[in-house]
Amino acid sequence: MIINWPEKFARKGHELFLSGLPIALHCHHYNMNLQKTLESSLGSDGTLLLYQAAEESSYAGFTSFLQHHPKINTTKSKLELASTSYQYCGLGIINFTQIEPEGGRIVSPHSHHVTGWLAKFGKRETPGCFFSRGWIAGALAVIYDKHIGYYRVDELQCKMTLARECVFEVVIA
Amino acid sequence: MAIDTDKIVHAVMHGSRIREEKGIIPLFGVYLSMIPVEYYNKISFGFERKMGQDGSAEKLLVAAGQECGYATFQGIRSSREWDEVVQPMIEHTEDQIYCFVSIAIAFGWGDLAVEELIPHEKLVVRASDSYEARGYWDAYGKADAGKCYMLRGVAAAFMDLVYGAEYPDGCFQYTAIETFCQAKGDPHCEFVARKAAL
Repeated sequence: MIINWPEKFARKGHELFLSGLPIALHCHHYNMNLQKTLESSLGSDGTLLLYQAAEESSYAGFTSFLQHHPKINTTKSKLELASTSYQYCGLGIINFTQIEPEGGRIVSPHSHHVTGWLAKFGKRETPGCFFSRGWIAGALAVIYDKHIGYYRVDELQCKMTLARECVFEVVIA
Repeated sequence: MAIDTDKIVHAVMHGSRIREEKGIIPLFGVYLSMIPVEYYNKISFGFERKMGQDGSAEKLLVAAGQECGYATFQGIRSSREWDEVVQPMIEHTEDQIYCFVSIAIAFGWGDLAVEELIPHEKLVVRASDSYEARGYWDAYGKADAGKCYMLRGVAAAFMDLVYGAEYPDGCFQYTAIETFCQAKGDPHCEFVARKAAL
């Protein structure tokens, strides 16, 4: 089933919704500033907060998407939904070709956070896609009908450190 | 020419449906993302709780919003889309602020309105439905202080951009307070930006 994403993006008065979920448009300046603020103030607690916030909102978002689209009921179509929604939300490109219910690897050749971080702050010394890690963990938990926190996602390579692409490893937590 | 908020909102809605091949939304000179407001609220209020009640989180979050607003709206007013859609509406310097507010509405930041603008001195912006205030109220109940950190910083950034030193030297020349907030039970949220004390 092909989702017509532009149809799902709607405005009701001053509020924006994507498939019924309240969203906001923010640019890389704000997203990267928030990440830097949390990371520099709280260290690993700050990056965990970014990860968990992304995981929880992705989990809630995917639950809502699938409730709105009951015909998307196979794992393949749900993974495709995840990939296209990531792209439609301006978050980048993500490939779910090496993933199973027990985990696997996910590759992202382009992302909002990488583009934004490099444009704003330049090269990092350590992987920095905390949002994407959490987003993947939340989406996969919904797709494989698991509870939130079921998966742990780590970033093995990151374009913020000038790697060729971002590579995420998914394991059962 | 009056500021046509509907035209600006339409331009943002139209432009934000366009993706380039990398899955990025380049619009108005910045890279946009569509992320659930729940994410931003979890980050802001989670950060505040982890940092403690000494006000340091509030200062950092407002500063993040102000620096973001400053860079974002500078990018916006330097963009092709601004030249095509917004610039023809601008007759006076102050009109820029009304256009900034229209764009913030288009971004889904709240139903904002300029209540008062005294050039160089004071800006009062009101919101009767901010996602930050609503998010705080829904998650934690009544607040004892204003919770719209992003909007507060952005209100000051609007003044920085229009009346501060030339970009990029004007950020934080103005500062804003939140005089009313729906998270406190007030009927609306209100932000008052004035020149920062040196």
